[in-house]
Amino acid sequence: MSWSNVLLIFRREGMDQLRDRRTLFMVVVFPILLYPIIGAGVLQFAAALQEKPRRVVVVGAERLPKEPALLAPEGEGFNPSLFDSPAEAARLTVERRADAGEWANPAFREEAVRDGDASAVMVIPADLPEQFAARADVAIPIHYRSVDETSKITYLRLREALDRWKAGIVEERRKGDKLPEGYARPIEVRGLDAATTQEIGGSVWGRIFPFLLVLMSLTGAFYPAVDLCAGEKERGTMETLLISPAGRAEIVVGKFLAVLAASVTTAVLNLVSMGVTGLQLARRATAMGGGDPAREAAAALAPPTLQSALWMVVLLIPLAAFFSAICLAVAAMARSMKEGQYYMTPLYLVCLPLIFLTMAPGIELNAFYSLVPVTGVALLLRALIVGVYLTAFRFFVPVLLPTVVYAWLALRWAVDQFSDENVLFRESERFSLVPWIRGVIRDRGPRPTSAQAVLGFALIITASWLFAQVLLTTGLGGIGVVAAGQGVILLVPLVMAFLLTTDPAGTLRLRGAAGRYFAIGAAAAVAVKPLSAEFERLVQWAYPISDATRSVFESLLKGDTPLPLAILVFALVPAVCEEVAFRGFILSGLQSGRRTRSAIVLSALLFGLLHVFLSLFQQFFNAAILGVLIGLLAVRSRSLWPGVVFHAVNNGLAVATGAWIGLLQRAGIAGWVYRDAEDGLYHVPWVVAGAVVVAALVLHLWKFDRRDVGEAG
Amino acid sequence: MILVEHLGKSFHDARRGWVEAVRDVSFECRPGEIFGLLGPNGAGKTTTLRTLSTVLKPTEGRAVVAGYDVVEHPEEVRRRIGFMSAGTGIYDRMTAWELVEYFGRLYGIPKDALRDRMEAVFAWLRMDDFRDVLGSKMSTGMKQKVSIARTVVHDPPVLIFDEPTSGLDILVQRTVLDKILELRDMGKTVVFSTHSMSEVERLCSRVAVIYRGRLQAQGPIDELLAAHGQPNVEELFFALVEKADAEYEAAGAGAGAAS
Repeated sequence: MSWSNVLLIFRREGMDQLRDRRTLFMVVVFPILLYPIIGAGVLQFAAALQEKPRRVVVVGAERLPKEPALLAPEGEGFNPSLFDSPAEAARLTVERRADAGEWANPAFREEAVRDGDASAVMVIPADLPEQFAARADVAIPIHYRSVDETSKITYLRLREALDRWKAGIVEERRKGDKLPEGYARPIEVRGLDAATTQEIGGSVWGRIFPFLLVLMSLTGAFYPAVDLCAGEKERGTMETLLISPAGRAEIVVGKFLAVLAASVTTAVLNLVSMGVTGLQLARRATAMGGGDPAREAAAALAPPTLQSALWMVVLLIPLAAFFSAICLAVAAMARSMKEGQYYMTPLYLVCLPLIFLTMAPGIELNAFYSLVPVTGVALLLRALIVGVYLTAFRFFVPVLLPTVVYAWLALRWAVDQFSDENVLFRESERFSLVPWIRGVIRDRGPRPTSAQAVLGFALIITASWLFAQVLLTTGLGGIGVVAAGQGVILLVPLVMAFLLTTDPAGTLRLRGAAGRYFAIGAAAAVAVKPLSAEFERLVQWAYPISDATRSVFESLLKGDTPLPLAILVFALVPAVCEEVAFRGFILSGLQSGRRTRSAIVLSALLFGLLHVFLSLFQQFFNAAILGVLIGLLAVRSRSLWPGVVFHAVNNGLAVATGAWIGLLQRAGIAGWVYRDAEDGLYHVPWVVAGAVVVAALVLHLWKFDRRDVGEAG
Repeated sequence: MILVEHLGKSFHDARRGWVEAVRDVSFECRPGEIFGLLGPNGAGKTTTLRTLSTVLKPTEGRAVVAGYDVVEHPEEVRRRIGFMSAGTGIYDRMTAWELVEYFGRLYGIPKDALRDRMEAVFAWLRMDDFRDVLGSKMSTGMKQKVSIARTVVHDPPVLIFDEPTSGLDILVQRTVLDKILELRDMGKTVVFSTHSMSEVERLCSRVAVIYRGRLQAQGPIDELLAAHGQPNVEELFFALVEKADAEYEAAGAGAGAAS
């Protein structure tokens, strides 16, 4: 790849975007204007809200006792001492009405609230003075309308004032009866908030900020991406660029960098504009009035610290890269700007739930979320804004790394898209489902396509999930069900291979292989065991498995299942079913039109993902690594069976570990093999020896077992 | 300089399955000569020329351009050709000078050499008065000149023009054709596709008639006229088209009867 060409294309595309008014508006002007306008609007709105006092009609006010006073002796208001501040008291005005005429009619009072003539109507009953004197219970009805926000707030304020008034009455009575001070108020709650000002501010920003930031980096990537792909096709400049000497990868990376720059700029400008507006709002809030509420508001709106902001930008770049690459790949399919816009909705629909998690209460960043695209970054952004640095730094790399990997994969996809003449020179044709399906089956080739492989994976996941749901509702369980679940994994690739390819046996690699491949498979499975045990421990240290989950899995394995049956269900059946699916159908499909190396890695990643969806996400790492090994074995032997042997031996060793270690312990030689028999950890020399053997086998397969002729077969 | 042997290109179509856009096309084109590809819309001209420009990969046969195979060394081929078609637009938000400079840089021409070359090209095409005009503000004629400048900025030995005059007024058409003739006189290998008979008669020393994805006939114009006993290119063209249609229907009827 020529970086000077990449730079050249990047500079041109960047300049092109700067000269485009629409993009400039979305990327620069919109964020700079949006937040100050919102801020000003909020202030004005709040001011308007404050200035308008709510009217409360008090019917029969003359019946109220003089001491303690509920209403102010003069004017139209409540007794200010019943409120936090006189300003607060002034928000309610009182209109006194005699309990006679129409106001005596409950229907009329209700109508007054309904029509908005009064926010609430309070009725002082005729027997109040007598009941007070008798120290009996009095009901004070308040008419309000819960669906009317102002009426409801007025009602709540009234209740609060009445509560204080009630406390005053009780206090009078206590004094009259000469009771001790704690008589009426046996306890007083004093909440002591340990949160710092930054944390209080962070919790408000922490919900909104990551959401807007992620959304803005997606928006900032989307419009330029559509313009640089679909727009170029529409204006007829795409072909001009394609016939230049620049390679496809150079074109894509150049465009990608331009989109990335736009995305990051949008997000950062949003960040800055939002922060400045927040500061301004906080200042206004403090200036407008003293007292705790104002200070709280100021704290709530205080922007994140500079340090957090810097980390956020660092984190934002790989996320923006991920979005940019995805948007490019998606936009490459569109023939026109208009069609490009259509792809926005599905993209947002997928992204929004991933971002919404940050708004949900109680969701904390953990090992699993750190692996989920977008969500991990959004939650980490929240941790940084709130100032939970311990969590933030612990998960910084676990979030950053997968995001970089996702971005890289998305970029590869974009390059694939640009290398596909069907995508670049797509012509519109009428689409109807039945002829299309018929066409797919009629024109099938010997191998499935990549898209069909990915579809197969999605179907396996969906079918297995549905199967699990059916089991949950019927309450079935046990070892037979585990085997049936594996049957689902087998069924999907079998049906697809027969339906979509002319050579299902070749697709699923059902032919035999030379004996040495079986030997390599078995040897590699045994040799990799000490290594994978170490790796597993590392993964469990990084991502601890909860005790509840562990006990579920152990009950499955340990139970009363006889060992041969356990080996059949947990080793042999999965070995066949998962191999047919992953090294058969999916790997064959991924191999078409892709380098073998990429196909193996992709199929291994999908294999890892299967374990995330169907069992523990901690198994992802081991499964993905073993997936690479088995994939290489399948490609080189051109047969499924050596991989099945590897898979069966690998699972079998795991199932039989307990029995095997017990056997060794009885023989008194467990200490020779294991440094920690309980956890199945081997002595270091064994681990090293295993690693050397595995490395040698992989090198042999990869380098020296190449068959340059008939590689595709 | 251009050698096409049994070139075929099929596309997959959801409705019709694999469709052959071009089948068994062979021709040759030498320096200092304009080879004309004559055919109606949808005959396979654009597919053939896009294959030569490496943006489409052939499904059958091979093509060698300027000494390089289009499948094995696409970058080398792209470096040595100038390609212009109705589909190769120019950027709206770039000036004429910027656009030509951009492509010149992509071809790896050093800055100083590029400036000299561009001065020469701009003078040759009389483009100096709209150097700094943005693409969106240009007239069709200006845009076409910029496209030609972009096509020749790296002085390629092979030039491919895919219907370069379609949709142009006659004045611009004439300019474009004149420039193509001048390029031939410079010793370039030129392939030129069109559906206009008069352009073929004016420009091409040799011509191929393409119809229904196949070459119906090819050779020097006078030889073709003599061989088919036709007075001019137009009559020749219609005679070949009728003959191809008759063959196609006969084959279609035969296939229909067989199945």
